Amino acid sequence: MVRPSTIHVLRRSTQVLVLASMLLVPALARYQNYLAAREVDRMIERWEGTLPGATLRGIDEVIRRLPGTERERAGRLQRDRTGALAYAQQLRGGPWSIEIGSISMTDPLAGAESIAASKRVRRVLLVGLLLPVVATVVLGRVFCAWICPMGFIFECTDKLRRVLRWLEIRPRNVRASRTLKYGLLAAGLLVAFVLSTAVLGHVYPPAMLGRELHALVFAIFDRAEIGRRGLWIGGLGWATAALALIVLVEVSVSRRWWCRYVCPGGALYSLLGAARPVRVTLRADACTQCARCVRACPMGLNPMLDQMGMECDSCGECLASCQDDALGYELRNPLAALGRPVIPREQA
Amino acid sequence: MSAGGAPVMSDRRHFFRAFAREVTKLGVSAGLLGGFVALRRGQAPVAGVRPDLGIVRPPGSLAEPDFLARCIRCTRCADACEAQCIRLFGAEAGDLYGTPHIVPEDKACTLCLACTATCPTEAIVPLTSAEQAMTPPAKMGVAVVDERLCVSHAGTGICGACHTICPFRNRAITQSFRNAPTVHAEFCTGCGLCEEVCIVKDRRAIRVVSERRAGQEA
Repeated sequence: MVRPSTIHVLRRSTQVLVLASMLLVPALARYQNYLAAREVDRMIERWEGTLPGATLRGIDEVIRRLPGTERERAGRLQRDRTGALAYAQQLRGGPWSIEIGSISMTDPLAGAESIAASKRVRRVLLVGLLLPVVATVVLGRVFCAWICPMGFIFECTDKLRRVLRWLEIRPRNVRASRTLKYGLLAAGLLVAFVLSTAVLGHVYPPAMLGRELHALVFAIFDRAEIGRRGLWIGGLGWATAALALIVLVEVSVSRRWWCRYVCPGGALYSLLGAARPVRVTLRADACTQCARCVRACPMGLNPMLDQMGMECDSCGECLASCQDDALGYELRNPLAALGRPVIPREQA
Repeated sequence: MSAGGAPVMSDRRHFFRAFAREVTKLGVSAGLLGGFVALRRGQAPVAGVRPDLGIVRPPGSLAEPDFLARCIRCTRCADACEAQCIRLFGAEAGDLYGTPHIVPEDKACTLCLACTATCPTEAIVPLTSAEQAMTPPAKMGVAVVDERLCVSHAGTGICGACHTICPFRNRAITQSFRNAPTVHAEFCTGCGLCEEVCIVKDRRAIRVVSERRAGQEA
């Protein structure tokens, strides 16, 4: 059995890795471009001491240490461009849709909306949906707790809420109905179907964040290419303002309001993972009703009561908070979960 | 409050907390205002929508209403692009937000076709050879020569840059007297390499024209 503290560390590492990869992938795209054009060394030299220069150098240092990226010619080691390119071109996209080597993974929400809007089902899309859908059916809303970069940002802003409380600026905690997001998901897919274009993908925060970070990295390199320096926010657009607003409301008005009541992606994963076999389970005989888990749950659930239905994103914070070792991930008969109340009441 | 140790401590702490609170409020307000102003100032007019020339999409892209329906705006084509010519529209472009486009005069497509291989929804249909990009809708556009601006046509010089760079030299672009180019639309993929290298820099003498228009999606 994995210890709860280990689960916490694993989850944090995954979240940080995902966020870092969202910045790394566009930088890697620029690196392979300079590599293909035989310009990497010139660019590193030209941008010495600047952010894009340091980024290129860092990527280059790593790639040159991989096997098959250098070869000997006339007694000296030289870059093997083909070998290095093969490494540099392995990553494309972000959490919304990613390709690692030849393994393609697409967010089920992206797939559902693309199918609804185009009224066509392509085999490539189904192949890309396979892994995420299977993972969600078996494990539930794990995307939210383990991968979603916004979920990670919200966990960071939880700390900010504590600072606010210390400052005696009491952050509010407005509550709404969890069923709202299912309605929004259905409405969004219907609008996509009728208008034949993406709607949910435009306003889905992790996808927006991915596009904004992508634009930011590209803008920094674009500026460097025309000889201008500095971190330029010109790549950021109104989507950044929308994200800032979502975070602001999260901090000051309602904790996890987006994830609990609005998120169309969360709604879809909840539905897909409704009958998941792996879930957090309470051993009632060990529980002392101390309610630490209730305070720990970011989704506002009550692990002591509600059997961790479809709203639970399996983050494991309740496991870590439990001092009686009464909570754990367990394998259960998926059919036993049907028939239970799946959308619990708010726990304040 | 000055007499006794403890009240002074709590008073001082209270003062510090109140001070920090006001600083936080001020900081957040200033940050919001500054961010908003910076965003407004940073906003460029929607780059890439050239009203007279149309939107150039990556090779193999579906025709416009279908493309917008199938594209999930995921950035994979832009990451795969070997030439790094694929740009993505920002939120200010409305319905085009996040979709790929090419501005040939900045960076043109080299027909590496990596974008066609990575598209998760086949909004960009996989192409196996550059020749496949010659037929619509896979075509990015067609290069059009402005004979008044072209130095070879106008007789002010001898150039031939577009002919030299054209991946389908002597088919898509042929030359006549003084290297004056002629475009043959049936062989032109609209990659825009000719537009990128054109020596007339203010307004290129050869430009890619696409039939895709903004607002065509409805």
